[in-house]
Amino acid sequence: MKKQIPLLIVIVLSFLFALWAVIPHKVSEDFFQGYLVFARAMSPFGVILGLMSITMVNVTKIKRKAPTWQYSYVTLISLYLTAAIGFIWGTSEGSPYIWIFKNIQMPMSATMFSLLAFYISTAAYKAFRARSAEATVLLVAAIIVMLGQVPYGVMISPKIPAFAQWILDVPNLASKRGFGLGVGLAMTAVSLKIMLGIERSYLGGGD
Amino acid sequence: MEFIKKLQDLDRRWIYLIVALAIVIPLLIPFNAPTYTTSPTEKLYQMIDSYSEREDRAILICFAHDASTMAELYPMEVAILRHCFERDVKVFTLTFLPTAAPLINYAIDMVKEEYPEIQSGTNYINIGYKPGALYLPIVVGMGDNIAEAVETDAEGRKLESLPMMKGLTNYNELKLVIETSGASFAGGWITYARARYGVNVAAGVTAVMAADAYPYLQTGQLTGMLSGMKGAAEYEYLTDVFAAYSSDDYPNGRPFSKQVLKDKEEISKIDIAKKYDPETKTGIMYKWKTARLGMNAQSVAHMMIFIFILIGNIGFFIDRHQQNKEKK
Repeated sequence: MKKQIPLLIVIVLSFLFALWAVIPHKVSEDFFQGYLVFARAMSPFGVILGLMSITMVNVTKIKRKAPTWQYSYVTLISLYLTAAIGFIWGTSEGSPYIWIFKNIQMPMSATMFSLLAFYISTAAYKAFRARSAEATVLLVAAIIVMLGQVPYGVMISPKIPAFAQWILDVPNLASKRGFGLGVGLAMTAVSLKIMLGIERSYLGGGD
Repeated sequence: MEFIKKLQDLDRRWIYLIVALAIVIPLLIPFNAPTYTTSPTEKLYQMIDSYSEREDRAILICFAHDASTMAELYPMEVAILRHCFERDVKVFTLTFLPTAAPLINYAIDMVKEEYPEIQSGTNYINIGYKPGALYLPIVVGMGDNIAEAVETDAEGRKLESLPMMKGLTNYNELKLVIETSGASFAGGWITYARARYGVNVAAGVTAVMAADAYPYLQTGQLTGMLSGMKGAAEYEYLTDVFAAYSSDDYPNGRPFSKQVLKDKEEISKIDIAKKYDPETKTGIMYKWKTARLGMNAQSVAHMMIFIFILIGNIGFFIDRHQQNKEKK
């Protein structure tokens, strides 16, 4: 029963949603409206579940003294402290919650992302080499697209942005579309397997 | 040869220092680099502009990023909001990320400072944060009724009671959705809102994400796209040249025109190197040109990376040539 009921819910609902997507009828619309109410009621439970999950994972890590267990303290303290501050003083402008966001969250996130510029530059210098024909093509394409993105590209030659755009519009598009089709077909296949009850790994237990 | 070998083994901290200087110096000493606008940016600008002063048209900006990608995406949001406030286009703002909710407030407050006549609930509605679990119910639900799908705005007011909602029911009026994101390209809006209700979808993405969005741009599933800092700079520029333009003939901005963009004399009037003078109100405010100033730094950094690649490869070929010689 522990596996059969969730399996039944998934199979029945997945077919109903597939039908809703292709049949614009009052019955299917009513079904979807019913789902909207249900989804709203369900979402807070999702948050509680997430909270329980992250707490359990980190508490277990601390108890077992797993590698980097000290960071679990940081995660848990940050999580509950921020939530408590938000609950007590609210989340409006001028509150401690916004102070934390502005002075801790924002600079930390921006710093992490901006480090990319330094890593990319070092990687470009140390590793981006024309070792083979394929690597040379990649190198030349990267340089042209990079120059096409900045005003200096036009100053060097007005043809650079047009060529960069061609690289994005033709070879890039062809490969992206190929990937996209592959991923789309794979997703359809997996979805069908789930809908038909063949794929059951999401139920846990590995079967 | 010894110099090339030394250059090959250059400590990475020197590279970090050069990159830091290449970014910081252009930010400290602003200069006027030309801004060339691209078709995806122009299309988005023109579509938003076509909703000017219309009671039965609105756009939605979905903030789908946190502070980490602010440098690229925040100037886009500010530029679009400025365009909307300047040309009286109704705007909804929304996010499904809790960390993006304060960013919406910053963006709106920053732009609103210069437009005292703009009122929440009348000219714009900040829906604010809605949990991710409600993504599908909201995206699809707005196709039937916006006020029922989201119910309340960020201040807890019923949407149906707000003056801006007069004349706005669903995607028949909310004609354009723009998602600004560092990790997706409005895929959910394309799949559910565009496919089912035909709403126009545009994306504002970080430069690294842009290549992924091209198939959708080519098919027309994406109406327009702002690509990274460059896209933001282009939008700022278009807003300065057209929406914020003021003359006897056009007191409240002028319509988009390719001719104007090609007119060198007109373009030379846009000076981002000059400081804004609050007394005479001449020059461009810093907040309206952050992306263009950022592009100065990005341009120099790109050139630096180009030079790094070049030096690295010259050293590599000399080294390989020498090794081949020794083998012989």
